Amino acid sequence: MNTFWWTNVNSLLIFSFLFITGCATLGPDYSKVDKIPDNSGLVYLYRPSSLMGGGVSYDVKTGDTVITTLRSGGYYPYFSAPGEKEFWAQTESKSSVTLDVKAGQTYYIKGEVGVGFIVGRPQLMVVAPEIAEKEIVNTKLIPAP
Amino acid sequence: MSRVRTSRLILCLLVSLIFSACAPNILMTPDLAIVQSADFSLSGIIDYEGNAEYLPRTVSAESHPRSPLTLRYQYGVTYGRDAVHQALPLFNPLTIIGFPIGANTVVVSAKLDVLKESSLIKTYTAVCVLDKHRTIFSEGETLSELRRRGLLAVRDNIETQMYGDRDLLFKLVGN
Repeated sequence: MNTFWWTNVNSLLIFSFLFITGCATLGPDYSKVDKIPDNSGLVYLYRPSSLMGGGVSYDVKTGDTVITTLRSGGYYPYFSAPGEKEFWAQTESKSSVTLDVKAGQTYYIKGEVGVGFIVGRPQLMVVAPEIAEKEIVNTKLIPAP
Repeated sequence: MSRVRTSRLILCLLVSLIFSACAPNILMTPDLAIVQSADFSLSGIIDYEGNAEYLPRTVSAESHPRSPLTLRYQYGVTYGRDAVHQALPLFNPLTIIGFPIGANTVVVSAKLDVLKESSLIKTYTAVCVLDKHRTIFSEGETLSELRRRGLLAVRDNIETQMYGDRDLLFKLVGN
């Protein structure tokens, strides 16, 4: 009886932790960036809210630099230097996309969580602006790391 | 004995299913046997902003600033994904034996325009479609790796096309 009770409490604590970390600290609703700095391109990283892998968050990087920790329902605007840039994320497997960033241009990278063997896997995808602009409006700003 | 054979057959099928899902399918247009074209190169003003590695090696920069020839190279990359919901594989019992859980596609297209004093004299195009299947055991190559593979494939394809046209090109450029 006692063991059964402890097992349930432990499960509840683990679930609560995952639930809370998954929903942690998102900022204001989406608003479009007004001005892109000179000699930069704008890359929106966003992840529509979803129950699937909602408790899983992952760092999105370019090179070795962490841009943001992508959480369910969040977005982050990143100003990138022009050129060929790889954006990647990894849990039990790696996902990456590469963009040819041009100054003054806007790009959208959508993150999702796919089925994994042990933990959900990041799925990054370059999305066309006409689709991304409809999806990103329901997200909230992820605070700067 | 028969059961052992059947088990082996099933095991072989599963292993081949898993490994076939790892390797991307590549479809190239036009479909050409790639030839090495190290001894051929067309010189002119190069109009290209991207990574030099993806530029066909059959074009080279003319040292003379008033060269009549301009070589304009452009490429485009499009990423795609299947429309299957990410949660669906959770309800598919075949997932655990390596059945594909999703697919990604990368389409790379490239175009090389040869211009002589602003008039277009020849255009070369190539398109490469790469798709991969993901399984619970392997994600396969990343989209960045597929993109790179595609860009190198269209580069090699355009080089081969140019090499096949080398006599014609020299004639057109010479006149």
